[in-house]
Amino acid sequence: MKILVITEQRQAKWNNTSFETLAAAQQIASALSGTVSAVVVGKSVDALANELAGKNIAEVLQIEHELLESYTPDGFCVALKQVIESAKPQLVLFPHTYQVRDFAPKLAAMLGKGMIGDCVGYRLEGGRLVFVRQMFQGKTAADVTFLGDGPWFASFQSGSFRADQVAASEGGAKPVKRVTVELKAEQIRTKPLELFKEAKSAVDLTQAPLIVAVGRGIKAPENIPQAEAVAKAMGAEIAASRPICDEGWLPMERQIGSSGQTVAPKLYLALGISGAIQHVVGMKGARTIVAINKDQNAPIFEIADYGVVGDIFEIMPALAEELQKAK
Amino acid sequence: MTVQREQLEADVLIVGAGPAGLSCALHLANLIKKHNESGAKPELSTENIYVLEKGREIGAHQLSGAIMNPKALAELVPDFEKSAPLDTPVRDSAAILLTERSSFRFPLTPPPFQNQGNYVVSLNKIVKWLGALVEDAGVNVFKEFGGAQLVYENSAVAGVITEDKGLDKNGKPKDNYTPGYELRAKVTVLAEGTRGSLTKKLVAEKKLDNINPQSYGIGIKELWDVQPGRIEPGYVAHTLGWPVSTDMYGGGWIYGLANNRVSIGLVLALEYADPRFDPHAAFQKWKTHPFLRKLLDGGKLVRYGAKSLPYGGWYAMPRNTVDGALIIGDSGSFLDSQRLKGIHLAMKSGMLAAETIYQALKTGDASAKTLGGFQSRVEQSYIRDEMWKVRNFHQSFQHGMFRGFIHTAFQQITGGRGLIDPMRAEEGYKHNKKIDATKRSLNATERFKGDGKLTFDRLTDVYHSGTRHDEDQPCHLHVLDTNICITRCVEEYGNPCQYFCPAAVYEMAREVDRSAGAGETERLRLKINFANCVHCKTCDIADPYQIIDWVVPEGGGGPNYEGM
Repeated sequence: MKILVITEQRQAKWNNTSFETLAAAQQIASALSGTVSAVVVGKSVDALANELAGKNIAEVLQIEHELLESYTPDGFCVALKQVIESAKPQLVLFPHTYQVRDFAPKLAAMLGKGMIGDCVGYRLEGGRLVFVRQMFQGKTAADVTFLGDGPWFASFQSGSFRADQVAASEGGAKPVKRVTVELKAEQIRTKPLELFKEAKSAVDLTQAPLIVAVGRGIKAPENIPQAEAVAKAMGAEIAASRPICDEGWLPMERQIGSSGQTVAPKLYLALGISGAIQHVVGMKGARTIVAINKDQNAPIFEIADYGVVGDIFEIMPALAEELQKAK
Repeated sequence: MTVQREQLEADVLIVGAGPAGLSCALHLANLIKKHNESGAKPELSTENIYVLEKGREIGAHQLSGAIMNPKALAELVPDFEKSAPLDTPVRDSAAILLTERSSFRFPLTPPPFQNQGNYVVSLNKIVKWLGALVEDAGVNVFKEFGGAQLVYENSAVAGVITEDKGLDKNGKPKDNYTPGYELRAKVTVLAEGTRGSLTKKLVAEKKLDNINPQSYGIGIKELWDVQPGRIEPGYVAHTLGWPVSTDMYGGGWIYGLANNRVSIGLVLALEYADPRFDPHAAFQKWKTHPFLRKLLDGGKLVRYGAKSLPYGGWYAMPRNTVDGALIIGDSGSFLDSQRLKGIHLAMKSGMLAAETIYQALKTGDASAKTLGGFQSRVEQSYIRDEMWKVRNFHQSFQHGMFRGFIHTAFQQITGGRGLIDPMRAEEGYKHNKKIDATKRSLNATERFKGDGKLTFDRLTDVYHSGTRHDEDQPCHLHVLDTNICITRCVEEYGNPCQYFCPAAVYEMAREVDRSAGAGETERLRLKINFANCVHCKTCDIADPYQIIDWVVPEGGGGPNYEGM
């Protein structure tokens, strides 16, 4: 059985699950007296190809192309389709990464073949290769196998095999074959932009010493800036009770309460928050709670250290102004 | 987007791990075990029985009073007394009439209120215990998975699709998106409890309704730890009268559990005239009666919950078998509408279903013909005896307590026949009168606030239900036409969803209309706080326009009825 392992790299750095999949391929090959070819795709990946050549495999297939420098699903599918058609493997294995989730099913479909994704292991049943997938969130596992002719496509979940169990080559470096592929810019329908790291949710309210929180009393999204002005003047973070985040007036990560964050700042200024228990459990640990609310019977006053019965729309601008002056 | 679903095949798929579903699973597992031990063919496997449960764990969504008649459990688990969490046997059963300030115990407790031989239990604990037996028997119970859709094959039920996981609030896949599984089974058992969301669709699709539509009530419950000496374990009382007016049907319960714990609640028929009646507020008001105040004073609220229940009885029992499927438990109307006892009937219905399914598995025929054996088994069992005697009971009360008592007196001496048999019923929501007919102002009524010690507002109570839903998922309360909410319903019924929901899910928000040409006028908008939903199904039942469709949210969401 000829097995192709499609490794994954980005900017000449490995995605380490590639080696887990390589280990799986080696184990399957030794059980079924097959061979393993490792594929590396990209631009200027000689070093990576040579690293693969030191493993116990038959060969390395190095696919280089200007247009493969950045990942695009079209580019990878067009290139790998040609590789698979010429190498004629029985089985193509992938690490189950986000990138693989993106293009591998498409590649399999282009070749009219099936894919078993996100496998956690394999078994041999009378010489037949059976893949194991988790179902029902790991409560049970399903055995899945291929019908019909290869190439068969399968991906292994991260952590299913051990990268440190990849066997090294015993007879020196294995051959690295450069495979040329036909790929034109117009075949690629997407344009990769600069890579970026998603900013972590900008705020960690649990670390904020001062918090200004708004509730239903704020009435409308256009009034939020008034509260933000108070927060800014105090150097505080803005937060909210659930209805405000439900409406999308502030992002969900600014929600305080049983379904949001639990905070214990030095000062918590509650503006137009009635004090439903769902909110209170998220902030009652604050050292000082100041509440402003129109309704003198609002439960927030039961836990507030200082309470103002009044209209937040009168108080907010005045407060912001005075705080500015005091600076 | 077409979704490719993974398929799995089972012999039997049971939707809902409550008393009915689990009794069905356990009894069937026992039959299969005996079958295999006898060497009979074909060999069957308990692993091919699947149970779906939308709750976080088995029992999480179980809510009942509860007084349990143990007779079905004794058949299912003969030595149940050794290991079942029975809490305490009933020692004293009282019927109490409340007026606003006083209470009178009936000198002789009427038979329907007598409970000697029964147990006061936590249904949550009983079901958790039963679930462990089911899992030990090799049955696969999939927690956090709900049945979202029925699968048909040549018009026969062929299984269920579980709910999609990992969709955001706009229905777009998130990173953890997993499409629901397509579970195919020779026999599908709907044991979803009251107003099951799949059952509702199947009953409509196959026209399974009996001569009466189902009638429903809502039960609102709090569990309290009270001061020592206030109530004896095993003391059970049912209250009639205040604050339930005589044109409504309902009453309260007070059950003494072990360790100074007490279960209290109010059950009300969802067939009242005033669309702005608030069952939660009525329950809170009931607690302020001196009789309850004395009991609860100095105590502490432990947990809250609410659930609807099917009152309709024998004449509202849907046809319980179709090709490929059976309906059991509350979904199938297996509840004694006079005594409001359904646990033992649900269990028995599950066991009879198991016997029927066992025949189907042996013969390989799961058509309505084989499964129809379920109905004859029910007819020959004590389910029929118990339900037949009270077949006209609940309908008698559709027009108030006084007429009800007259009818039931006749039914008592005629074995249930009474003055009219069968007595018909209509859907509860049809009892709603339009608000201009009720002499009440259009202004929204003052909402019940609670004192925070004896009485609570709805949000505080919901907090004590342990309810949790991932908020970034599609709303599971489908309102088919929200335009009705802000036009006709405002005028005609005053938006009853704000009042009948015991979990403050529905809210008519006032907001400024910024649409072109609207100026700065205020308008109403229906806001659905679905994360509060305690899965009681009242909205699906009580909405006067029948445009609310309750569908399963992502599995694992919902209340946590620990100890309820």
